[in-house]
Amino acid sequence: MQDRENAMDDLDALFGAARARPAVPSDALMGRVMADALALQPAPRAVVAPPAPPQGLWRGVIDFFGGFGALAGMGSAAAAGLFIGFVQPTGLSDLSAALIGGQIDSLSLMPSVDDLIPEVTP
Amino acid sequence: MDMPRDTTTEALDDAPDEALLVLYANGDRLAATALTRRLVPRVLGYAARLLSDRAEAEDVTQEAMLRLWKIAPAWRTGEAQVSTWLYRVVTNLVTDRQRVRHRRAATTLDDAPEVADEGRGAVAGMIEADRMAALDAALAQLPDRQRQAVVLRHLEGLSNPEIAAIMDIGTEAVESLTARGKRSLAAILSGQKAALGYEDEE
Repeated sequence: MQDRENAMDDLDALFGAARARPAVPSDALMGRVMADALALQPAPRAVVAPPAPPQGLWRGVIDFFGGFGALAGMGSAAAAGLFIGFVQPTGLSDLSAALIGGQIDSLSLMPSVDDLIPEVTP
Repeated sequence: MDMPRDTTTEALDDAPDEALLVLYANGDRLAATALTRRLVPRVLGYAARLLSDRAEAEDVTQEAMLRLWKIAPAWRTGEAQVSTWLYRVVTNLVTDRQRVRHRRAATTLDDAPEVADEGRGAVAGMIEADRMAALDAALAQLPDRQRQAVVLRHLEGLSNPEIAAIMDIGTEAVESLTARGKRSLAAILSGQKAALGYEDEE
């Protein structure tokens, strides 16, 4: 039985030696396997961009004014102007009287144009 | 086929098989290289021990890897280990080939690789090579299922439950196969020892 135990020990040593010698594939085999791998590989998954919104007339108008934010600001300013014009709040007339100074009967929008006229006419 | 060895490929070398397989299925070419480098030597080693025919073992390796590439997009993570799956595929491919072989009934022990006869006084490397040749020759004499179980247990270092999953049998059957296989191997090798001239080295 001693022989048999020795044989088993030898076998274990042999297994250990065999495990320490991994198979070395040939370059040809590695090439064949790599060729298969690349041939069967799915194409890289593309990052899909979200569909572009339809480009209409309004989109162009909104972009012209600088986007929705700017347009909203302009809209609220216009609404406020319209409101003040209709309501004519008393506080506001006092403020304009204080700034401009009393009732305005005539207002010269181009004050220098009178000075120009005599020079033009011979 | 040269890929730049940068930090990315080194990171891939540390990644688990399954992660690499997912990367491969997503089109990562470096993952294909990393998987090939890692798995082909193991698959070839196992196939070569089962078949003791290098060319046939290479064909089986390519076929097993081909099946891995094909299943990669449908791979269900967490269900099976990639290596276990591959061992199973190789075992089945080899079994199919051996069935054909047995049907032909042409291969007998005459075709077993010759054990070199220059053991006595040869250099250490040569002796080692002789011993490996003797092991391969002895393995070739085992019944197919015993050889599969012994190689998976003692040369691939797998656990009995893993081998049971690979061979589609119970763990008791694995234990029985490995025990019988090992006994037969020891008997074959101790018979050859005299011929190789190793008994006076101890």
